[in-house]
Amino acid sequence: MGLIQRLVEEAGIATISLGNAPDRMAHIKPPRAVLVKFARGSMFGEPGNVKRHKRIILDALEALKTMTVPGSIKELPYRWKQPDPE
Amino acid sequence: MPIDIEKFKPTYEKWVAESLPDYQAGKMEEIVKKYPFIVPDDMPWTPYRGQPSEQIFALVTSGGFYLKDSQPPFDTVSIHGDTSFREIPADACQEDFGIAHAHYDHSLAEQDFNIVFPLQRFIDLEKEGIIGKLAETNYSFSYVNDVVSLVTETIPKFITRIKAAQIDALILVPV
Repeated sequence: MGLIQRLVEEAGIATISLGNAPDRMAHIKPPRAVLVKFARGSMFGEPGNVKRHKRIILDALEALKTMTVPGSIKELPYRWKQPDPE
Repeated sequence: MPIDIEKFKPTYEKWVAESLPDYQAGKMEEIVKKYPFIVPDDMPWTPYRGQPSEQIFALVTSGGFYLKDSQPPFDTVSIHGDTSFREIPADACQEDFGIAHAHYDHSLAEQDFNIVFPLQRFIDLEKEGIIGKLAETNYSFSYVNDVVSLVTETIPKFITRIKAAQIDALILVPV
């Protein structure tokens, strides 16, 4: 996915990715990413937690709009089965 | 330096030859440890312009999703993985999906695909006017080791498709 993201960005389309492993992301070097603390296969949180999925998407859209430094990664505050921070 | 895939090719082929016994034995940690990751030293960048409420977004996941009634599953046996992608309509439902990816636990995604491929959440945002539109076609990849074919064949085809669909921004969700 890292190569796809980089080549799409190179082709002139802005991208943002989700990630959960800082060591892997250091290899991949995504142009823009948000980092979550969830396991593989559940980047947007728990199944059925619609409110949380939406919040993470809105965070990703906000990062897409506001990141100005290539290679930026923003860590999101959510934790598995813990309430969302205010 | 941009990615030099021709230079990478023999390194990848050497890794395949050396890692095949471990791959066949299911020793995934071993083969990942030896995998010759491309670590680029440049950073491609397209500035984001405009407002999400006026734009078309597309989603791409590497979760191994396919439409089980009309598309073939991904190859989950080859050490190369599967470099193809499946085109998924925006209104696909849970019961439409099969998941072919042998290297992550997809039991939660089988309950709710939106945790890896949030098509329904993007449709919600479209209805709320937060985004202009979710693309009619979105994309799923699966497990890939053969980045040579991925970079030289699949990604150019993929980029042609998303450009033809006039995508403004792409959201990528790896597993």
